[in-house]
Formats: sequence, structure tokens, C-alpha cells
Amino acid sequence: MLELALLVVGCALATYLWRGLGMLVSGRVSMDSKFFIWAGCVAYAMIAGLAVRILLLPTGTLAATPLPERLAACVIALVVYFVFRRNLFVGIAAGFVALVTLDAIRSGF
Amino acid sequence: MVLAAGYLGFGALANGSDFPLWAALLSTVTIFALPGQLAMLEMSIAGSVPIMIVITVALTAARFLPMTVALLPMLRSPGRPTWQIYVAVHLLAMTGWAASMRRCPELPLEQRLPWFVGFALTNWVACVVFTAVGYGLAESLPPLVRQGLVFVGPLYFVLILTGETRTRHGVVALACGAVAGPLIHLAAPQWSVMLGGLIGGTLAWGLVRAKKRA
Repeated sequence: MLELALLVVGCALATYLWRGLGMLVSGRVSMDSKFFIWAGCVAYAMIAGLAVRILLLPTGTLAATPLPERLAACVIALVVYFVFRRNLFVGIAAGFVALVTLDAIRSGF
Repeated sequence: MVLAAGYLGFGALANGSDFPLWAALLSTVTIFALPGQLAMLEMSIAGSVPIMIVITVALTAARFLPMTVALLPMLRSPGRPTWQIYVAVHLLAMTGWAASMRRCPELPLEQRLPWFVGFALTNWVACVVFTAVGYGLAESLPPLVRQGLVFVGPLYFVLILTGETRTRHGVVALACGAVAGPLIHLAAPQWSVMLGGLIGGTLAWGLVRAKKRA
């Protein structure tokens, strides 16, 4: 339990580090520098990799749903999101409903 | 509102993965950055070494540096003690940042920080509440709805990243990361988030650079 608390606090400090550092360097460093562009690429790739990985190879609750269902729900969410002019709420709601409906059909409700 | 859905999903995911409620809440209070929290949750379940988890979370949070740098000049006003801003930036996250960048230039200097804090604080409290609600709901809901709720977390990022990424670097990095993350996960689950980001991101950076030169 203590270990877990330390882990969370460690992660919190690691996150605040950037917010605080932003305070310090504000106005002093050029944001176009190569380092920041590279760091931005790594951050994007990391979040994309994590999200796609949870969708393709989930652990826990989601692992009970078949891959084609998750993919179909994801595609439906994306289509609805763009059709509704990037309305996040509508897109996510569509993905949620799609997954639950597909799941319900499969398990024969 | 949508961020709330993300935290609802995070709470449900935490419950589905046997992550204790107090730790999920503590992470929303102290970290307040959904990608980092998801990474922490997934990695700690996969059994990664704590120091690797902290480093990965640090890397996912690196976006806050440019965000803070961009927003701060707007929040500063003469006579305001610096420590107040240091406290306020803890509340900086995607939603509040985007709203403040749009809204602050319209406000007088001395009202900007209070406006930002008011907006971000509301978000923060709502997110803590929704983490708990998601966690609680996950137990009482039928498995079908629970799966849908857990699905919301990653879906939120897939949508927001595909829809809101405008720079060429960003788009290429998303594509590289989306391929690299799952592939590396097959070989080394504990390392996939970090290695996927480093390899995918560096590859994207190199590709855009090579393209510019050609």
C-alpha cells in the first residue's frame, strides 16, 4: 500500500515537474528548438501507442470483448465524431453505444 | 464534460483492473493528467518497475512544458506573487489550457489568473468526483455497460488525437506510435509505453526531417 502511494506521488511529481519547469523557462527558451519538436513527437507517439494498444490488446474488463467488436465501435465513433464536426461528446457516446449494442447482440439479448 | 467521461472511464478501468479506489483518487488529485494516469495504471498492472513507470509518466507529461510556456505570459500581472502562479499551474491540463488560451486575451490582466483558477479548479473537482463515480458504477453495472465505460478511456484519446492534431510532426508521430506501441507490447509488455513512444516518436521526427531535406 505504501509502495503504491509512493508510486502515485512519484508520478505526480514527475508530472508537476513540467508545469513548474514551464514557469521557469517561460519567455527564455525558443519553443521551436529541435529538442522540443522531438519531445513533442515522443509524447504524441506514446499516447497514441498506449491508446491503440489498450484497444487492440486490452487487459482486465475489456479483454472480455472480441477484437472485431472493439474495432467496429472505434470506427463508428471516429465516423460520427467527424460527421458531427469533431464533437467529442457525440463521438464518444456513439462508440460507447456501439460497443454495448454489439456486445448485447453477440450475447443474445 | 467530455473530460468527465474520460475520468469516468479511468475510474471504471481502475476498478476492472483491481487498482484500489484511494490510489485512483489520489492520482486524479495529484497528477491530474489522464494520459499519464492511464499509463501508470496499465504499467503497474503489467508489473513494471516503479522507476520505469515514473519515467514514462514524466515523458507523457512533457507536453505541459510548451503549454505552460505559452499560457504563462497571459496570466502574469504586476504585483501578483509568483508562488500563486506556481500553485495555479498544477491545475493546468488540456481542457483548461485550451479554454484559457481562447478566453484570457479578452479579459483584463488582473482577472485572468482568477478566471483560469476558477475554470481549472471546477474541472479538477469534477474529475475527482467522476473518478469515484466511474469506480463505483463499475461494480454495480452489468458487465456490458461496464465494458463500454472502460472503452471510453482509450477512445477519448483516439478521437481527440485524430481530430485535434494539426502539425505534420504530430500526425506522423501519432501514426508511428500507433504501430510501434502495440508491436512492442507483444515482445515486452512492461516496456511498450515508453519504448513505443521513444521509437515511434524518434522515427516520426526523423521521417519529417528526411522529407524536408529531400
